[in-house]
Amino acid sequence: MTGLWRRIVEITRRRAVDREAAEELAHHVEMLVARKVEAGVDEAEARRQARIEIGSVESTLEQLAEERTGFAFEQLGREVTYAARILRRSPGLTLLSVATLGVGIGVSTLLFVLVNAIVLRPLPYPEPDRLVRIFDTNLQAGMHRAGVATANIADWRLRSSSFEGIAGYYSMGRTLSGNSDAEVLIAAQVSGDFFALVRVPPHLGRAFSEDETRRAQFSSAVAPIGPDPVVMLSHGLWRRLGGDPSVVGRTLTLDRRVFKVVGVMPDRFALPQPDIDLWIPWDLSGNQPRDQHYVGAIARLKPGLSVGQAEDELNSVAGQLALEHPATNRGWGVRLAPLHDETVGDTASVLWVLLAAVGLLLLVACANVALLSLMRSLDRSGETAVRLALGASPARLLREFLMESILIAGLGGALGSVIAAAGLRLLPVFTTDLPRLREVTVDSRVLVFGTGLTILSAILSGMPQAWRQSRMLPAAGRSLTSPRLTDTGRRHVFRDAMVVSQVALAVILMAGSGLLVRSFLHLRGADPGFDPRGVLVAPIFLDSQAYNSGERSRTYYRTLFERLTALPSVLSVGGATTVPTSPLGPDFERPVWPEKAAPDSARRVPASVRMVTPGYFRTLGLRLADGRAIDDRDAPKSTPVLMVNETLAARLWPGERAVGRRLVVDYSTAGTYPYEIIGVVGDVQFRGPRSDPQPEIYFPHNQKPYLIMNVVLKTAGDPHALIPAVRRTLKDVDPQKPAHELIPLEELLGATYARDRQAMVALLVFAGTAIFLAVLSVYGVLAQRVRERSREIGLRMALGADASSLVGWVATAGLRLLAIGLAAGLLAAWGLSGSLERLLVGVAPTDALTAAVVVGLLAGIGLVATVVPSWRATRIDPVTILRQG
Amino acid sequence: MALEKLDLLILKTLLLSPRHGYGIGQRIEQMSGGVFRITLGALYPALQRLERSGLVKGSWSTSENNRRARYYTLTAAGRRRLTASQKAWERTVAAMMRVLHAEE
Repeated sequence: MTGLWRRIVEITRRRAVDREAAEELAHHVEMLVARKVEAGVDEAEARRQARIEIGSVESTLEQLAEERTGFAFEQLGREVTYAARILRRSPGLTLLSVATLGVGIGVSTLLFVLVNAIVLRPLPYPEPDRLVRIFDTNLQAGMHRAGVATANIADWRLRSSSFEGIAGYYSMGRTLSGNSDAEVLIAAQVSGDFFALVRVPPHLGRAFSEDETRRAQFSSAVAPIGPDPVVMLSHGLWRRLGGDPSVVGRTLTLDRRVFKVVGVMPDRFALPQPDIDLWIPWDLSGNQPRDQHYVGAIARLKPGLSVGQAEDELNSVAGQLALEHPATNRGWGVRLAPLHDETVGDTASVLWVLLAAVGLLLLVACANVALLSLMRSLDRSGETAVRLALGASPARLLREFLMESILIAGLGGALGSVIAAAGLRLLPVFTTDLPRLREVTVDSRVLVFGTGLTILSAILSGMPQAWRQSRMLPAAGRSLTSPRLTDTGRRHVFRDAMVVSQVALAVILMAGSGLLVRSFLHLRGADPGFDPRGVLVAPIFLDSQAYNSGERSRTYYRTLFERLTALPSVLSVGGATTVPTSPLGPDFERPVWPEKAAPDSARRVPASVRMVTPGYFRTLGLRLADGRAIDDRDAPKSTPVLMVNETLAARLWPGERAVGRRLVVDYSTAGTYPYEIIGVVGDVQFRGPRSDPQPEIYFPHNQKPYLIMNVVLKTAGDPHALIPAVRRTLKDVDPQKPAHELIPLEELLGATYARDRQAMVALLVFAGTAIFLAVLSVYGVLAQRVRERSREIGLRMALGADASSLVGWVATAGLRLLAIGLAAGLLAAWGLSGSLERLLVGVAPTDALTAAVVVGLLAGIGLVATVVPSWRATRIDPVTILRQG
Repeated sequence: MALEKLDLLILKTLLLSPRHGYGIGQRIEQMSGGVFRITLGALYPALQRLERSGLVKGSWSTSENNRRARYYTLTAAGRRRLTASQKAWERTVAAMMRVLHAEE
């Protein structure tokens, strides 16, 4: 070790080593000179003599330095060249090893890039850990994440001391008209503190002034906005409009009103949502309703306060408000969640699972490569023995073996970085719905991770061989005399361990992906309560400027529906303020209660409100559980009616009929009236198959006209084919009112479990790769075993062993490895299954069917891997073998 | 592997006690009766080589005239190597002598 240490010192402290050498030589000369002076020579003469006797200090120093660098590099160069030559000797195996490690390192790095950018890195705002989202909760009504009521925000700001700021916002579509075709943009109306509390300064211009916010007093989301409106643009919209640096001060026409641009926000400012196009001010300070829970809220905590402390404080404020306004606030509390968690959502757990899975895959890859080099060195053990006998030092041989692994891992790492870079480029093709996708970049942490992974791979894939060699080397020297007949026991322990660990790791991955498949099938197979097939969704945002009366919006929709129904291949047309799984449209709740019940009784529950047209039920294939559906009889002036869904009916009148009863709806702006229940609608999983049905009421759109509507069309064929015709029709009816985006409902529904699909596909690919590698190893080891024992097999055959017993002998060895790996893998999978729990729906983490399929599949594939080498064993010609003898 | 002649001599001088470079040179000269005179250009590269192979270990300490000097110590590996190489040399030398003195 001292020698190695010395070399490290020489390389890392070159200057110091040079200085020490000079000092050492000077000392030598001084000693000699001193002795001569003692003997009576004068000093100058002594120096001259010394120089002649022992040579020049300078040239010796040069020689020393030259040898040092030369030695280190030469040694390294020799080892690298030698390893490269060995690797070139078996190009197939080498390429396979490099590719295996390359894929493992590449995919691991790619996933780490995602985990790093999406989960680990803080949000790109100053002190982001103090930013939180606020939700209203009503635990009795089962509401955990409701929007907040605007008046509550004003009270929180007055009565709490935990926050530097609280802001409310609401996003909706607004139509931009200008030179080209009108288009719908996503606009957030934001209260005064919004930009100040996030603390991101505008890229251009400024944020809204207090005065601009005060002017923007509109009570309802769709009400006309105040005088002299202003707007801020997102970076993306600004660039789309030409990226003019002097845009501040110009005007835009939104919903037929002229807005002055006051600022542009920087790229990466993705609040309140990633697809945001613009912001307009919104004054929340006025007297606003307390029971309309639809506003998003964001806040910044004061330094040093925890989320829990702030939540406690707000809940005590909510308690006071419930006492002061029992009719609207009783039962309502508050929940705070870190903005980071809200932004990342369930993607974090998916990414962690995938990163862990790809880590297992990398282990399989390392074990595979370790096995390959182990097998290579076993085939080379004769050569090794010869070199040992000729005096090569064991340490040197070990260094050479390790150098091979380092070369392979280095090449694998290079390939991996190419794979990761390519994957990063292709990422937007495969997924556009990842949160923080725009922030996905490579940083120094990723580089450290990738390098570390490469080093780790070199160690993991090189150590088993090096370790085995270090224990075998003394024996290898002796085995020179009869290399084929000795050393049969121990060498297999390492080889078998590599195979067993690969099988076990592959089993873990198979079990995990099997569970995800089951969960995905459950999600896809679940009946959401509506039929999305052939349905196209077109969100329409009418503006209050042109459609300021119910009559106008009724007329618009009546004309539109007539024209759409007349389109060829359209089976039916309907509309609703919000449709299941569509992110656009006003989804809000109102308190409802049976007519006879007291307004503050426990039977007062919040119900989601939908305004629907008669065609809606048929177009979405909703089930009518009781009574009748809304139809043309429910005209503006006829009896006010509504429908309830099964959940609401069961909650208010358990075991009794709801049809014919009267339900009071607290529709604050329009007053509190009773409505006659004409029918009960089947429950719908409104937010997709992971969500539970909530209480819902359906109003006839004719009786409660609404400006925003998701129009749905049903066709027998592909809904995509309808898109051009629908766009043309919309333009004909009102050129200023295009749809935001036309999307088939099946895609919207699929998007609610897109993450499940992505996780499943990724894990299936990982598991498939792992199985492939593991089976390759089983095959390789058995084939080598047959090769090594060909003498023994030949002898047995010559002594009369029949083919079947030989097949049994080889196959038993293979199946034993498979069985041990399978058992270990299943045990480990069982232990790890809890980590998947959050991703699974409709299947237990310890699902027996999945385990059975894994066992069956692996046994099947494993059999194939053992059959071929077994058959090869029977083809050995005993005569040839015995002649070699 | 057999050691070069100078390497062997250096290790031998270190067998009983650590020495600095000058001391090693002196000792070899003295033991060889002045036949071997070691130059800097031979001694220090050899020491560097031996240290790198882990046969000797150098460390700074104070010399007899109160100056900083680098002292070399024989390591365990060096001791083993010395024994082995010494035997090999003795055999070689004996064989050489037999050949040279043989009556043709």
